[in-house]
Amino acid sequence: MTIGRKVGMRDFRPLALATLLVLVTLTGARSDLAGQEPGDSFPGVRLGLIYETSFQPVLAIKPFTSRFGGSGVDVQVEAIIARDLRYSDRFELLDSLPASLVGEGVDYQLWDQLGATWLVSGQVEGLGEGYSLVLSLHNVVYSEVREQARFPLPDTADDDFRMAVHRVSDRIVEWTTGEPGMAASRIAFSRNMGDGVQEIYIVDSDGENLRRITSHGDISKSPAWHPSGQKLAYVRSVDLTPHKIFERDLRTGREKVLDPGREGQQATPAYHPNGRELAFGLMGYNRTGLFSWDVERDCCLTHIQGGRWEDLSPTFSPDGGRIAFNSNRLGTHIPQVFSVSSRGGQADLISPYLPGTPGYYTSPDWSPTGDWVAFHGRINRYGRYQILVAQVGSRRPEVLKLTAEGNNEDPSWAPDGRHIVFSGERSYGYGLFVVDTGTGRIRALVSNIRAGPPEWSGSLPDMSGEALRGGGF
Amino acid sequence: MKYRTFLTTAVAAVVFMGACSKDPPPPPEPTGPTAEELEAQRIADSIAAAEAEARRLAELAAEREARAREAAIAAARATLTERVHFDYDMAEIRPDAERTLRDKLAILRASPAVMLRIEGHCDERGSNEYNDALGNRRAQAIVDFFTGFGLDASRFAIVSFGEDRPIANRSDEDAWAMNRRGEFIITAGQNDINPGGTP
Repeated sequence: MTIGRKVGMRDFRPLALATLLVLVTLTGARSDLAGQEPGDSFPGVRLGLIYETSFQPVLAIKPFTSRFGGSGVDVQVEAIIARDLRYSDRFELLDSLPASLVGEGVDYQLWDQLGATWLVSGQVEGLGEGYSLVLSLHNVVYSEVREQARFPLPDTADDDFRMAVHRVSDRIVEWTTGEPGMAASRIAFSRNMGDGVQEIYIVDSDGENLRRITSHGDISKSPAWHPSGQKLAYVRSVDLTPHKIFERDLRTGREKVLDPGREGQQATPAYHPNGRELAFGLMGYNRTGLFSWDVERDCCLTHIQGGRWEDLSPTFSPDGGRIAFNSNRLGTHIPQVFSVSSRGGQADLISPYLPGTPGYYTSPDWSPTGDWVAFHGRINRYGRYQILVAQVGSRRPEVLKLTAEGNNEDPSWAPDGRHIVFSGERSYGYGLFVVDTGTGRIRALVSNIRAGPPEWSGSLPDMSGEALRGGGF
Repeated sequence: MKYRTFLTTAVAAVVFMGACSKDPPPPPEPTGPTAEELEAQRIADSIAAAEAEARRLAELAAEREARAREAAIAAARATLTERVHFDYDMAEIRPDAERTLRDKLAILRASPAVMLRIEGHCDERGSNEYNDALGNRRAQAIVDFFTGFGLDASRFAIVSFGEDRPIANRSDEDAWAMNRRGEFIITAGQNDINPGGTP
């Protein structure tokens, strides 16, 4: 208790200072993101973008062609890639051009006149089984082919077909920006089925392939991706006993229950980047703490933080060295976001807490780039919940607010370190949304379902031939 | 008394005459009960009737008592499982909840075999996962209340359902107020509920 209080007081002063500086330099607030309610502004928080992108290069897509029986597939592949690149929010896209306009070869002058910086062209070849995509990335400004590669694609009926094309999209993003993409990834979340039942679902990054993973008929929620993308840990309530964490192998559908040999309700699993340790919250009687457990060897329960307050929702930094979590240890019954060494010790406040105010901040998620932590919060006791990101490891930490409409909860970073998925409530219904921290753009990922805390996977490796299996068990 | 004697004799005569008309050989001379025997019979009958009446009354009383006890047990069970409610974001026991918990306390004291599962629930506002902690704290506050009055903590199990099991599926103040609650499920001693007073 005393540690928590000390941390709060010590950390408050530099934060408040930074807050003032941020307020003084408040310039880039975009009016289209504004629309805050009076009195609903967060202390030291500004509406804003992480990258402040001012210019987006035009990327053109030349209609894909086919040969050796790849006919029809070229159109499908092109459509998937075009949408992925649009969702990457890194380009202004020029696609769906009539073939008669662009001709057969690549006329750099024509593309230059159309304003393109980049041009993507592709040809799908039919193979005995599956297809091969020959893809070229042209730099129009320099009139040259910048990259060229051949990608094997499975049959269109194969479970991995779309994911294989998404991996191509991510390569294009890497070639053009030097940064990772997020098209080849999935989002896991719990779906409210009514009657108190929640099941785990997954969906591709582009909103396709929505599928059900669990069919337990009770509460399954708070999914966490194993770094391999092949397992999910999640929380389940069985027979009205305190919730337990299960780990499910997505290839086999096999499940095992976490049995750390300590009583209490288990919550909020999060894998260490090494994939071996799992951090989670354990709600014991008058004592709730963060623990870690070796899920590979089923051993070695380690206490990280805890006390007569509630420490929950751990998330690892990408190097595994630190954990962000939420805790009500400041004594107000209202949670704040902290970070601490993954071995325990003194915790630092991350959320923009002002003593005596009812600001409520929970559900942190550490960005894969390591320099931001996303969480959600409200400033007024009866205020709405918004997605915020705070800089970590900086002497002048910035806190930015990314949403303004409705209620927004449970952010989770995409593997590109740029997009964030969250569950949202709008006047027209519930759903999952994706916000781009670079442009502030928000798109609906899954609409008209009531979704619990989503979790974005890492970039999914090639799992061709190993279909994901839902249901059963 | 005279009338009764006459009736008995008359009935005996009719029975005799009926028998006579069917059986050709004359039966032995019938021997009616003597006056003494009749008198003894009458007294015995009277005693039996009185006893039966007493038994009937006793049974009635017992039945009434059993019914009353059953009703008391049903009321006690209803009291034990009555929900209590909480304020927004809070896990403190409200005065109205305290009255309900005190009623439960009396029954729990008189019924040592009864064990409860106490569920903490929240409204939908706030973080889903943090609401599990809030629900847990609410369930715990209830157990703390009971153990504070000397009840054994081992009689209670707690589980938090956070915001996942609302009873009112709307998003307004009334629904939220209903959903912020503690639920009580009797997990043992279902048949050993003592309504209190006389253990």
